[in-house]
Amino acid sequence: MLKLIQNEWMKLWHKKGTWAMVALLILAIVGPGIMMKYYETKTAEDITWQENEQQVINSYKDMLKGDDVSEEDKKYFEEQIAISEYRLANDVPSQSEGSVASFMSFASNMLSLVTLFTVILAASIVSSEFSTGTIKMLLTRPMSRAKILTSKLLTTFVFGLFLIAVNLVVSALVGFILFGGASGVELEMVNGQVVEKAVWNDLAYHYLLSGGDFVMSTLFAFLVGSVFRSSSLAIGLTMFLSFMGGMIVMFLSKYEIVKYIWLTHSNLTQYESGNLMIEGITMPFSLTILAIYAVLFLAISYMSFMKRDVTA
Amino acid sequence: MTTQPIVQLQNLSKTIRGKQLIQQLNIDLYPGQITGFLGPNGAGKTTTIRMMTGLMHPTEGTVIIDGLSLQENYEEAISKVGVIVENPEMYKFMTGYKNLLHFARMHKNVTKERIEEVVRQVGLEKRIHEKVSTYSLGMRQRLGLAQALLHRPKFLILDEPTNGLDPAGIREFRMYLRKIAAEDGVSVFVSSHLLSEIELMCDRVAVIQNGKLIDIRDINIETSSFYYIEAAPKDDVAIHLQKFDYNFTVENNGFVVEIKKEDIPKLITQFVNAEIQLFAVQPHQKTLEDQFLEMTGGGQIAKANSK
Repeated sequence: MLKLIQNEWMKLWHKKGTWAMVALLILAIVGPGIMMKYYETKTAEDITWQENEQQVINSYKDMLKGDDVSEEDKKYFEEQIAISEYRLANDVPSQSEGSVASFMSFASNMLSLVTLFTVILAASIVSSEFSTGTIKMLLTRPMSRAKILTSKLLTTFVFGLFLIAVNLVVSALVGFILFGGASGVELEMVNGQVVEKAVWNDLAYHYLLSGGDFVMSTLFAFLVGSVFRSSSLAIGLTMFLSFMGGMIVMFLSKYEIVKYIWLTHSNLTQYESGNLMIEGITMPFSLTILAIYAVLFLAISYMSFMKRDVTA
Repeated sequence: MTTQPIVQLQNLSKTIRGKQLIQQLNIDLYPGQITGFLGPNGAGKTTTIRMMTGLMHPTEGTVIIDGLSLQENYEEAISKVGVIVENPEMYKFMTGYKNLLHFARMHKNVTKERIEEVVRQVGLEKRIHEKVSTYSLGMRQRLGLAQALLHRPKFLILDEPTNGLDPAGIREFRMYLRKIAAEDGVSVFVSSHLLSEIELMCDRVAVIQNGKLIDIRDINIETSSFYYIEAAPKDDVAIHLQKFDYNFTVENNGFVVEIKKEDIPKLITQFVNAEIQLFAVQPHQKTLEDQFLEMTGGGQIAKANSK
């Protein structure tokens, strides 16, 4: 099995597209980093941070006076005012110039790019063997089809994890080089108390939650790619669902069934922001539903790959 | 044939969407023997080969390789088989060597030395470290043969193996197949459209049509002898041949007559006595092509049998 993965890994890195993906990912982290650095320093020069915080307080107070402020907005504004006042009172500047942690949490948005690239691989790793005809050479070996498919699935996930690691390391490096010297503390309100934000925990949590969409999209693309043997269909369909998933859930939100489709649950970051797709779902419930779908996707992929006659 | 067959197709049948592509195929293949596999387009050659390599699952029947059922003991059975199905498709973005390394990793006990040995055998050592996308079709065929031989298979299945090889390459290829068949006792199963090629290469041919085996016979053993006779006037010749009960057919300017060698002088004397002008008498060998067309009844593509 290790040798099969070694094979897949070798084939993967002999394709130019793979290198392009990694290069693009690094570019997508470094580029904005440089832009942020120079943009931020320019604006921050003119006024002191105390003046800036005062402006923030004033503007939120103005907004609070408005007529059509919802309960949620009101709570948010009050929290922001409390945080800014806390900064002034305790002499804690915010991170106007950014920090390693804040840059890394910005770069964690690039995980959607990681997911996209992993989906592309998942979609093509089986179907490309069919389209080039090399599947014949691959399946006439003393390795069962199940082993071959498993090696491809594992390679896809190893590649995905590798991209996540690249994301993490590059964003840490870039953050350290560009913003390493900046000081400042991030604050937040917890139970009416202003406390220092646990940025590293939040970051780790965000990475973990992003795993939901990452795993489900990859498995779905793998399923479509190995059943229909068309990488474009697999990529297209997966992308369509990830863009339109929210809409589909909204349309179906009237019906009970919406609770039982994976699209409602795959974006686990909804538990982080608190904006749930539909009411009345919990993390354990979501994880259960996702696990069931993951097994289902895999079962269909394996069954179709093992039973099918190869005519390519 | 007293030796044990290495490959046995037993009642092999394949039905796809109600169409019976292969019907009750029974073929035994023996070690050291090269068997040609012939049939018109659409006869089911490729389907049969795909079932023999595990790419397709038979609807009925089994393929037994060295005593093991391909369906039940897939990994062990297929490890004795080397395959080229149609064009040898390789990973074009990698070098020839990396391709071989890739396939070698999927077998047990294929060493780096073995890879180099095979590369030498197929004559690719000068180009093996170049990308396959730069290879000509003939070179890809050689690489295809190399990957099929890596694990020293007992049974070699080749689908259109000489397609794209130059004459020297074909000759070399033929010699090589003969050598591994004779020396290592490898059983070879070759499908090809090049009948002359099969004729030179094989000990035996199996012919299928409409998914049925219509003939399996040894090559180079003539059951009856034929002579080509050119003589005039034709009408007199025909009358004469009929008189002496010879079977004959008219071909070009002469006659192909089924006649024993020792009867030839007698026939010539009779022609001379009858004042028939005799131009040529020569042995006539039916080519495999003639036999093939005779057996399959022309070139039309077989209609799939509906159930």
